Formats: sequence, structure tokens, C-alpha cells
Amino acid sequence: MTNAQNNETLLEVHDLSVDYGYGPDATHAVRNIEFRLARGEFVGLVGESGSGKSTLGFALTGLSKPPAHIEKGRILFGGKDIASLDQAQLREQRHGGIAMVLQSGMNALNPVRSIRNHFVDIFRAHGHVSHENYNSRALELVGKVELPKTVLDRYPAELSGGMRQRVSIALALSLEPELMVFDEPTTALDVLVQHAVMNTIIELQKAENFTAVLISHDLGIVLESAQRVMVMHEGRIVEDAPAGDILNNPQNEYTRMLLSHYADPRAEVVELPGFVDRNRRAATGEKRASGATHPPTVSSREQRTDQKAIVVSHVSKVYPAPRRGESPVRAVDDVSFTLEPGQSLALVGASGSGKSTIAKMITAVEKPTSGSITFGDLDVVKLRRSRFRTLHSDVQMVFQDPYAALNPLHTVEYTLTRPVVNFTGLHGRDARRRVLELLDTVGLSPVEEFAAKLPHQLSGGQRQRVVIARALASNPQVIIADEPVSMLDVSLRAGVLALLEDLREQWGVSMLYITHDLLSARVVTDNIMVLNQGRVVEKGNTADVLRHPTDEYTMRLLDAIPNPRKDVA
Amino acid sequence: MTTTTTRPETQIPDAPSPWKVFARVASTIWSNGKARIGLVVLGLFILIAVFAPLIAPYGASENGFDRSADSSWGHWLGTTAAGEDVLSQLIWGSQISIFVGLVAGLFSTIIAVLIGLSWGYVRGFGADVINFIVNLFLVIPGLPLMIVIAAYLSGGGIGMIIIVVVITGWAWGARVLRSQTQSLRSRDFVTAAVFSGERPFRIVFREILPNMTSLIVGNFFGAATAAILAEAGLEYLGLGDSSIVSWGTMLFWAQNSNALLTGQWALLFAPGLCIALLATSLTLINFGVDGISNPRLREGAKK
Repeated sequence: MTNAQNNETLLEVHDLSVDYGYGPDATHAVRNIEFRLARGEFVGLVGESGSGKSTLGFALTGLSKPPAHIEKGRILFGGKDIASLDQAQLREQRHGGIAMVLQSGMNALNPVRSIRNHFVDIFRAHGHVSHENYNSRALELVGKVELPKTVLDRYPAELSGGMRQRVSIALALSLEPELMVFDEPTTALDVLVQHAVMNTIIELQKAENFTAVLISHDLGIVLESAQRVMVMHEGRIVEDAPAGDILNNPQNEYTRMLLSHYADPRAEVVELPGFVDRNRRAATGEKRASGATHPPTVSSREQRTDQKAIVVSHVSKVYPAPRRGESPVRAVDDVSFTLEPGQSLALVGASGSGKSTIAKMITAVEKPTSGSITFGDLDVVKLRRSRFRTLHSDVQMVFQDPYAALNPLHTVEYTLTRPVVNFTGLHGRDARRRVLELLDTVGLSPVEEFAAKLPHQLSGGQRQRVVIARALASNPQVIIADEPVSMLDVSLRAGVLALLEDLREQWGVSMLYITHDLLSARVVTDNIMVLNQGRVVEKGNTADVLRHPTDEYTMRLLDAIPNPRKDVA
Repeated sequence: MTTTTTRPETQIPDAPSPWKVFARVASTIWSNGKARIGLVVLGLFILIAVFAPLIAPYGASENGFDRSADSSWGHWLGTTAAGEDVLSQLIWGSQISIFVGLVAGLFSTIIAVLIGLSWGYVRGFGADVINFIVNLFLVIPGLPLMIVIAAYLSGGGIGMIIIVVVITGWAWGARVLRSQTQSLRSRDFVTAAVFSGERPFRIVFREILPNMTSLIVGNFFGAATAAILAEAGLEYLGLGDSSIVSWGTMLFWAQNSNALLTGQWALLFAPGLCIALLATSLTLINFGVDGISNPRLREGAKK
């Protein structure tokens, strides 16, 4: 289908600024933005967290909520200034106007109403569908988002996250909008589902020919789908160019920085900022990067002689059936592997593949249903709660969500002092010295200042460094990193990964790196295990497996990675 | 919260002092309009109770005046059937109500915290046993239980009333705190504390408890309100020590002497209004308690 690409302007934004709060305390989230959208265009809006991209999206759709408000500027949609409309006029505007699909759109459905009722509610509110056509129109809409017609009689809780997000896209479509704003429509979804939903959105846009704005933090996804890309940084649009130009000839330094963090894990040589290719490192014996930014302090670390391996053999974990009449859930099915001292092993798979369950069993938080796990001569399965310290002084964990892993009421210093006191027996001034040393190791300086901070005063990347510092407090031999960078912005990821890699190289810590992100696995691990529904489907050298995958599931995971250079290469 | 604190090298890390926590809690509550009204009203009552000997025109059971007199310049709210000054009784009576309310509220909150938190943290058989006991206290109707216990412990004065109120009042709070503990227990920072080698006791009281400050403070004010009402109720029914002067016994004696029939509405109305006002003030304070355990809300509120 040809994209009716005319030059008719649908939306014009003039000198738009959006503030949070008023007066001198106001935060300027969006500053002096200027752009226009042509009818039928697919535009991507990319930026990291805090860049103001969602604020802009909400302003475009007239959904800005206090304390956010449009400070100045005009948003002309079909000649009308949206910024000056009141609620009632805006509501009129929604039909045939602007619709929005939210990141948490899957949670925007009312749990006690069937999907059919969600459609009927909208038809009734706007009266644009005659009563006898309710059913046929609803069927048509769910068909458009590639859902079976049986979903109409289901309730939101009976649908998966991807299906619910499709329903909310269909709901947004039901008012025949001319402009659709997608705010991170796939971020909360699993990798494989993400890919499928994104394809549906692209297909829909071509078929329905609405104008689309895709807001995302992921330049890869945007470059794959959008014709034009606007890059936002600190409230301003720093670059606005066709997708091809952004990819091949980026003008702005910030855009170039974002781009540099994308690579194809299947390539022969994979290098990210701060990371020299792994195979070359192995061949030449050189370190991660010639000038490692934060050389870890090794002073307080005594040389280890009794390095121990984690041996997992024939481990299974079965959870009881979630509801009566259903079969029990087999989260992990007969998994065996050995994590040698100093080794780094990636455990990859989509969500629900059992990778986090394995991490919990290794750290004795969960008990396996069958099989054995040993660390040296310590039997992890039979470990009693009162003896957890024995295990955790050597095996530590880095959590996925740095926002949840720190107690919001404790200062960084308290958080780090506890494991130091518990595991090393240091007290008072010695403990404090060790805490400051740890902060220095993870690159949080000035250390004194960071020690006194509370978690909400830190950025995501800084929090994750604190989490890593806590894991290091006991001088562990093994670090289990459960998606340590998935909640962080692209530009911060490389830094945290580099830190983990340095620690492994210089402290001799072995690492189990759990992720769904194959690119980062390629960069920081030697070996890889691919899990699908609790079973190991493929294992081997990371580079080999990713470059020549043999299992169909691994290939699907690889295909799901948004890669802007896919077409170019 | 300044971030530029430069601590001397020698300073040993210490936990936030209880006073700092208290000051923080107080300023958070004060920043809420409704809570401020509540605090002012409660403060007035406490001042009246503390300075009762100075404020009250007569003694609480001084009874040499005209019986059942209407209000006059000598006795603003009139006198009782036994010839006591109503205003003086009201002022002296505030001591009992506030004392019982705060002490009973405190004790039932302490019990609720201890049981609720350990109940929320342990799993297995122990949790089932606590569950049974708490449910037992929850399903028994409160007032009849109070009456039975009060009759059993008859003649114990306000100490007895406090015990009765605490026994019947802790279970609800324990239940609320348990569910919050259960949701906090599965949070990453609690698992992280296990990885930091913390003992369960410390995890419950240093990691989980501070995150429930608002609930616990709210629970305290709720329990205190209930205690004030229960105390008045028990004494009104004549189950307390009717020789002491409190708002509840004032109502008891007023009812006994058919104050309404004789047109002495102040005898019922004045203590009733005081009980209502005191309970309302505590409830208003509770509106301000919400923002306590969320540091981000707090910083926004401070401006």
C-alpha cells in the first residue's frame, strides 16, 4: 500500500514550553519546541528518562495533569489551538482527533468489565456508532490488532500483557483518530511480545494511514519503525531528521552518543563505548578498555586461595498450580551447569523462562523441588536460614530494579555499613573507612557526599552503583547480577556494565549475568546459556552461540532485538 | 535536606536519632491544613488538662452549691444534681479522657506493632497460630466483650478501663500492619537486607518498620480515638469507677438525674461535645500522617 504522503500539515507546534510547578521553583520539562507533522507521517520521539518526551506527548493530547501545565506556545491541530481548549471541547476533539496509547495501557483496562464493554462504553460516550453496529465494529477493531474475536467476552485479567496492550491500541483506534501518540507502547512487555506488538503498530499505521508519534527511550525501536526521528535532550529537540539520516549521518553529538550504544550481537566484532571486543581481549590479554575509568581499590582485599565453584546439577523447581484444575508450573526443568571461579556466564531468556528462579535457588532464597546445588562443599539446598551468612559472604546479588532494592529511608552509608559490619566484623571507624572505600570502588565520588545521601537523591545509575557496592561489601567470590542494567538509560548502561566487568577482571569475582538483552551478554560474558520455559536449549561460548545460533528459540530472541543497522548491514 | 554535608572523618556512622525522626514526623503533620486544626484543638485540650488546677474555678467534687442550678455568673454551666460545678468537672474530667486515650492508644499500638510485624514476617505454623488468635479477637463484638471484662474486673478504676480498651482494641491494628508487612517483605530491599547478613529481628524493626511510620502513627491516633470513646461509653454505662470525675461519669450522673427532663442540657451536651471534639481532633491529625513514610512527598511539601 502506498503511503499517501502529502504535505498537508496535520499538527503544528510553535514555541511550546511545559513547566512543572510555577514561579522560580518550576521545572522546565519542555522548552521552546517547534515542529510540524504532515498527515500520514510516522514520527519517532526519542530521549532518555527526564528528557521531557512523555511530557510533550501528554501536552499534544491535552492530557497534561497538574502540576504540569503549558507555559507558553501553541499546538495547532487542524488549525485549532489545543492548548487553549477546555475539557469539554477537548472531549469532542477526541473523536476523529488525537488518541494516545500509554506505556501502562495494559493496566488501564477495568478489571471487572469485559473487553466488549470497554468498546461499548466508548461507542456510547461518543455516539458515533449506531447501536446495532456495536458488535460488528468491535469485532472489526480487535481484528485490526490481530486478536481473535473471542477476546471480546474475556476480562482483562484473562489476557496476557501483550494482548491487553493490543486491546488498548484497538480502543484508541475506535475513535478513528487522525493522530495517534504511542508513549512507550512496548516497554513493559517481554522482548518477544514487544517485537510482535511493534510490528502490529507499524502495519496498522500503513493500513489506516493515521499520523503516528512513537515516544520511546529505545532508538533501535524508533529507527526500525519511524520515517522521521526527533531526538529530545533536556527538554529540547536536538535533532529532527529522516530516520536514514539519523542513522548514517547524525549531526548532533547526543544522537551520536545514543547510536554508539547499539550494535548487533551477531556481528563478528562487537564493541561498545568503553568495551574493546571480547575475542580480541582474549587473544591479546588486554583489559576491558585501555584506560579503565575507575580502577577498583584492591588494598583491603586479601588474596584468595580457596576459590570455589558453584555446581548446579539436575535442578528443577515446580510451583503449585495457580488455580484449581490447572497443572503445576514447572519454572525450572532439569538444569545443570557449573560456574567456575573467575568465569562469567550469561543466563538469557524471555520473561518466564526461569532465569530469576535459578538465581533465587543459588542464593538459597528459594528451595529447588529436586536436584542439588553446591558451593564448594556447602550444600545450598539444605542450608538453614540461620546459616545464610555463610553463603552470602561469598555469593552476593545485584538486583534488577535499583529503585526497589534500596530502603528509601536509609542513607547510603547505613545501607553499606550493615553488610560490612555483618560480614567483615569491622566496627566504627574501620567500618566507615571500608564503606568509603567501597563507594570509591564503584566510582561514586566525592565519597563523603554520597555516603550521606538518601536513595531518592540519587539517579538510577548511581543507585545501581550503590547496590553493586553493597554486593561487594562482603568480599564475595560470586556475583549474581539479575538484569542489572535493564532499568537504566542507555547511556548509563555501559558505565555499570564496565564496572561489573572491571570487578570481575581485577578482583577475580565470577559472575552469573542474567538478562534478556543479548547485546550486553555478548559484551560482558564468556559463556552463555539460553533458557526457554525452564529448559536449557543452548549453551556454549557467548560469541559462538550468538553468531551461529542452532536453536530456533535463540534465533527468535536475536530477531526480536531492534537493530537500526539491520537494513544497512 | 542538604546534600553538601561534609562529615568529619572521625565521625562514626550512626542511625538517625529518634528526635530527628520525631521532628520530621511533626513537621510533616503540621504542613497539612486539617491536621493543623486537629493539633491546635488537641493542644488546647492537653493544656486544659495539665493546668486544670489553675483554670478550674472549683474542685472537681466540691459539692456545697445549689443543686441542679441553671447557668449563672458563679457557675457558667450550672451545677449537677449533687451540687457540683459543671465547668470545673468538665475541666478536671479532661485529664482522665486524655490520659486514658493516649495511654490506651499507645499500649494497643505497641501490641499491634509487635504482633502485626512478626505475624507478617514469619510464615508457616507460627503465622497460623497468630492468625487464629487475632481472628478470635476480631470476631467477638467489641462492646459486649468490654462489658464482660469490665464487669469481671469491676472496681479497678481507670487502670482497669485502660486494660479493657487495650485488650479489645489491638487486633484491628495488628491486622492492618500485618498486610503492610507482607507487602513490604517481598520488596527487593528486604531481600537485599537478607543478603547483607541481617538477622530477622533487625530486618523487621529496622528495614520494614520505618517504612510503616505513617500507618503506625495513624493507628495510634485511631486507637486513641477509639479508647476515648470506649472509656466514655464504659463509664456512661456505669462500668467504671463512678466516684472519679471524667466526661464519661458526668454523662452517667447526668443521665441518672434525668438532666434532659429538667432542662439541664449543658450537663449532657458539654461533656458530649468535648468527647466529640477530642476524637475529631485526633482524626484530623490523621489526615496529615499520610505523607510521613514517603520522602519524596515530604520534600515536595516542604518547598
